[in-house]
Amino acid sequence: MQKKVEGSLVALLFAGTAFIGAWWGAHAWLPSLASRHGAGIDAMLRYLLLTTGALFVTGYVVLAYFIWKGSRRDAIGKRFASRRTERLLSAGLGLTMAAVAEGGVLAIGMPVWSEYFDAAPTGDAIEIEVTAQQFMWNVRYPGQDGVFGRTDPALVDDTTNPLGLDRNDPHGKDDVIGLNDITVPFGRAVHVRLHSKDVIHSFFLPNFRVKQDAVPGMTPEVIFFPTQTGHFELACAELCGLAHYRMRGTFNVVSQKEFEEWLRQQK
Amino acid sequence: MNTTALAMDTPTVREDQLKLGLWMFLATVTMLFAAFTSAYVVRRSGSDWRHVALPSILWINSAVLGTSSGAVEFAYARGARGRWRTSAVAMSIAFALGVVFLAGQMVAWRQMVAAGVYLPTTPHSAFFFMMTGAHAVHIVAALVVLAWGTVVTVRAAGQRRGWAARMSLCRTFWHYLGVVWVFLFALVSLY
Amino acid sequence: MATPAEVVQANGVQTFRPAGVPTHDTRGFVRRFVFSTDHKVIGIQYIVTGLLMAIVGAALASLIRLQLGFPDQQWPLLSKLLPAGYQGGVMLPEFYLAVVTMHGTIMVFFFISYVLVSGFGNYLVPLQVGANDMAFPFLNMLSYWIAFLSAAVLIFSFFVTGGAAAAGWTAYPPLSALAAAVPGSQMGQTLWLLSMALFIASFTMSGLNIVATVLSVRAPGLSMMRLPLTVWSYFVSSILGLLAFPPLTAAAVMLLLDRHFGTSFFLPSGLIVGNKLVPSTGGSPLLWQHLFWFLGHPEVYVLQLPALGIACDILPAFTRKPVFGYRTSVYCLMAVGCLSMIVWGHHMFVSGMSPFSGEYFSLATMTITVPMTIFGVNMLASLWGAKLDLKAPMLFVCGVIALFGSGGLGGLFLGNATADMQLHDTYFVVGHFHMMIGGVTLLATFAAIYFWFPKMFGRTMNETLAKAHFWLTFGPFFTIFFMQHFLGLQGAPRRYYAFTAYDYLRNTRGQNLVISLCAFVLVSSQFLFLINFVWSLVQGRSAASNPWRATTLEWTLPSPPPHDNFGEAPIVARWAYEYGVPTPEGDFATQTVPAASVPVTA
Repeated sequence: MQKKVEGSLVALLFAGTAFIGAWWGAHAWLPSLASRHGAGIDAMLRYLLLTTGALFVTGYVVLAYFIWKGSRRDAIGKRFASRRTERLLSAGLGLTMAAVAEGGVLAIGMPVWSEYFDAAPTGDAIEIEVTAQQFMWNVRYPGQDGVFGRTDPALVDDTTNPLGLDRNDPHGKDDVIGLNDITVPFGRAVHVRLHSKDVIHSFFLPNFRVKQDAVPGMTPEVIFFPTQTGHFELACAELCGLAHYRMRGTFNVVSQKEFEEWLRQQK
Repeated sequence: MNTTALAMDTPTVREDQLKLGLWMFLATVTMLFAAFTSAYVVRRSGSDWRHVALPSILWINSAVLGTSSGAVEFAYARGARGRWRTSAVAMSIAFALGVVFLAGQMVAWRQMVAAGVYLPTTPHSAFFFMMTGAHAVHIVAALVVLAWGTVVTVRAAGQRRGWAARMSLCRTFWHYLGVVWVFLFALVSLY
Repeated sequence: MATPAEVVQANGVQTFRPAGVPTHDTRGFVRRFVFSTDHKVIGIQYIVTGLLMAIVGAALASLIRLQLGFPDQQWPLLSKLLPAGYQGGVMLPEFYLAVVTMHGTIMVFFFISYVLVSGFGNYLVPLQVGANDMAFPFLNMLSYWIAFLSAAVLIFSFFVTGGAAAAGWTAYPPLSALAAAVPGSQMGQTLWLLSMALFIASFTMSGLNIVATVLSVRAPGLSMMRLPLTVWSYFVSSILGLLAFPPLTAAAVMLLLDRHFGTSFFLPSGLIVGNKLVPSTGGSPLLWQHLFWFLGHPEVYVLQLPALGIACDILPAFTRKPVFGYRTSVYCLMAVGCLSMIVWGHHMFVSGMSPFSGEYFSLATMTITVPMTIFGVNMLASLWGAKLDLKAPMLFVCGVIALFGSGGLGGLFLGNATADMQLHDTYFVVGHFHMMIGGVTLLATFAAIYFWFPKMFGRTMNETLAKAHFWLTFGPFFTIFFMQHFLGLQGAPRRYYAFTAYDYLRNTRGQNLVISLCAFVLVSSQFLFLINFVWSLVQGRSAASNPWRATTLEWTLPSPPPHDNFGEAPIVARWAYEYGVPTPEGDFATQTVPAASVPVTA
């Protein structure tokens, strides 16, 4: 009797976990979407949530069932699986589950990955350079001439010249430099070149599904196409020291007019 | 069938275990040097790579190590024929040459320092000191094994059991480090 | 001096005369219990050391959850107890990072690895292969004391200037290379690296021992395909460790040189820290990541496989049926071992490595799904048709199967580059790896302790406390780490001291509170286990030699086994899963029951 009660309780634990877990997981967790390639990532995440959710509930319910049934038995089931059954069942089930999960991943994922990385910047993409440092984001626009001025680490002074701009370079004269605040016009692609002055940081725009480590000594790039206007946040996603948790920036998508007005104000 | 004679020459479980242990240890050591090598190859493609001149004594050290391996082989061949005295002498020579190799490596390092080339001078020098240092640490361990092999050989005159298998362990470890040295030397010189 | 072991022909049967070790160890206390070469003593030493480190790790976790669950609170008591870490009752962010780093390092390397891999590995492998000790007993003793030293060095690092390492257990340079980048990168990081070097040396010795023992001292009749899955899992795990750890050694040497000798293996030019230009040139931070993860990924399988193998061996004693798909499971273990060495880049999808590498590593990681799924299906199917006895070890094994399933499913998200873009370095990763390493391995460790405690100490643990331990562990554990997956989907980054700076993370407050409360329940309920463990050691009822009516070789010996284990080697006649067959003993036959008495299944 006690065995049966215990078995039922354990089965209830796993079955309960499955249903409560599925209920909890079925909420909308993703931050609001604001980029084009992000739709592909969200599709991937939703597909995975659905398939893994189904596998999760099925697995736990089967486990609960076996436990419930097993605790009621006085003798083991008469039939033992033959070697052939063992091989077929485990291989069959295993491969099927893997195929469903991974097949979807491949089908949905590869195009997204290709779009994200093979995308060449369109002609009118807005060019931005972001230089991360402990614990802020230096932002630079190339200005009217569309060319970034030369920088040199030897020229860096954190207070007066955080980017190490070469004052003698004519291209640098019209560069617009800011801190922690990125504004872009709606309707154009955004092309960000990432630098880091000290340790590895990571440029994370949760709403745009953009994340790229800013690695000192390298210049990784991201290209994406905003699909919403608004004010969004930029977070650092690679441990960079004690203020890693408050290395916040803002990313604003505004109309072309507002953008030009804003740019004018920066100079 | 003369089981006694067979038993003396066939490796015991103990020797099999030691051989197994040694080969796995060598697999681990190989992975270590493979890691250093892959780091070297990656770094080599950097724009600041500057090859530093390596002291010519390294060639002499290589010859010394090679001769030492030869001495171990000679000791093995002689021991297989029951010439224990010669074998033991050859092992001692191998050991001595191993020590000479280490001394020669230290001379090489000092020559580089005297020429103003230190560990951080260029990536090439950094890898040179680091990898030859790692190799030297393993040579020290191998010298201990060689010493053990010499003792085993000296004792084998009265007690041959399993000698061949134990000698094999010495040989394998020593020749392995010789091969690693040849590879490292070639890497830092040519690439 | 003991006479060496040897194989002897006698009456047409090859038997194994083991080393002439006495049945009872008559040496003094120090040789018997401190510098012992007896694998059973060494195994217990590892387990005890690991459990002590676990207490430290759990305390650190409590501090983390206190901070994240109650970010606006002050704790004056903690300011008194830990003045270096708390000021005015508020945790210092640099201390938080040191706590996070050390929690991870201690739990992975000094708790799970010591208890599950080295502890139970050393204890069980010689017994389960029918040997009297490991192949290299002296090396075994050496490996433990180096492991002890490694743990001591790590604990000591809390007390040096700047405190313990604070660059995460992953220690990415330049953060871990530049002393000015974070306080823990002063001496703390150096001691961390030295501790890891000692750890790797110790683990190499242990691994060599296990592989040599499995290959060279199996009892007569014990072919490889008759080995219990536990032994197979330690075998594969040890080979994996032997091949995977050296790149971390190489990387640690290079990082030490960068930190103290002015080299630039990982440091590029142009670094500005403290408004000063660092003189490094040309190094690559990515090089560290490749070398680290080349070990880092196999390492998680080094920990997981023994957990899975042990679960598969505890199962049949409580289902009274053979494990499902033994051979397939063996092949899966081998496949996972091999595949785990070629997928490390899935930790680096957004690191700046080439997108082509990203595609390769996504595809390669997908292949690991196959053997792991098959293994999981086999574990689940082992419950089919079972006559279940839900004793404490079995409860924990059910937990292992459950968490392996749910945790493993999370891996599908992270293993492909597309989804990982959003989830990398968020709490999704934290939830996933805790479910796998904190869940599967932790619950398997508890199952193993409850199962083998009678054999190890000759005493029985309290079943009621053990069951309560399970009930108060599974629920909170699942809640915490399941919820963290969704924190990650919401975009909460990891290693954050607080989420209060961001609007988009406003809604995570309540979730973090719940998680922290569950964490405190979880940590508290471990006292049930500790009390049970200690009390049973002293007062537990005596244990019989085979209280679980299990089939593997250790259960043919008294509890605890004599110093020389078997004396004369046992002759093995069958595989380790002869359950559910009518025999003189009831419904099972230990591996030594001769073929003439009970038909041999395999």
